[in-house]
Amino acid sequence: MGLLQRAIEAIGIPTIGITLKKEVTKKVKPPRALYLHYPFGHPLGEAFAVKQQRTILLEALGALETVKEPGTILEPSYRWRRHRFE
Amino acid sequence: MRRLKELGNALMVGLYRHLPWLAERWARHHRFVETEGIPWAPLKKPLREAVIALVTTAGVHMETQPPFDMDDPGGDPSFRVIPSDVKEEEVVITHKYYDHSAADKDLNVVLPLYRLKEFEAEGMIGGIAPFVYSFMGHIDGPHVATLVEKTAPEVARRLKRDGAEAVFLTPA
Repeated sequence: MGLLQRAIEAIGIPTIGITLKKEVTKKVKPPRALYLHYPFGHPLGEAFAVKQQRTILLEALGALETVKEPGTILEPSYRWRRHRFE
Repeated sequence: MRRLKELGNALMVGLYRHLPWLAERWARHHRFVETEGIPWAPLKKPLREAVIALVTTAGVHMETQPPFDMDDPGGDPSFRVIPSDVKEEEVVITHKYYDHSAADKDLNVVLPLYRLKEFEAEGMIGGIAPFVYSFMGHIDGPHVATLVEKTAPEVARRLKRDGAEAVFLTPA
């Protein structure tokens, strides 16, 4: 997914991607990434967990405004099935 | 022989689905394309004015579209174009390499179209680009070149044409 992200950024469109595989992301180096230690198939969290999905999406989109350093990997502490999303 | 290979493949898929650490181990030891430099395009306007596009590699496609090729061990570098006003019941997932049972129940788990529509209605983003571009990921071997040289740049050009001002990507 990182290669695809890099191609989109290279044409001049800013990008942010969720990653569940930090080691891969470190190698492929997309411009901005948000890492979650979640199982595959759950980049936005759990089914029908609207607050969780909104929080993750907003955090990721916010990175488009706040991240200034290419290659930044954000790591919010939203622990799988532990974090309470308000 | 072919049957044996298919059986082996099915077994591996089952293992990957039920033992996530196996996939992590694969990722650690697999040789990924190492890249030079990092492309960079700053956001040109505030998020609340920007048109956002969604791109995913979770194997999502419309029921009416051909599914991704799951028989090729190198994956499928092609993509599907999904209108952003698609109804959830028109969408399916073809992907053997991850457990998509949660996403089958609620598409937002891998493709947060409804969450994005809420953000648009609440004025948190400027708008949603007309199309979602969907891949299946898990691309290996010669298909990596097809992705890098052909399908990824093609999607980038399409996104530009669609008026996308920022892109949010989700993996499987």
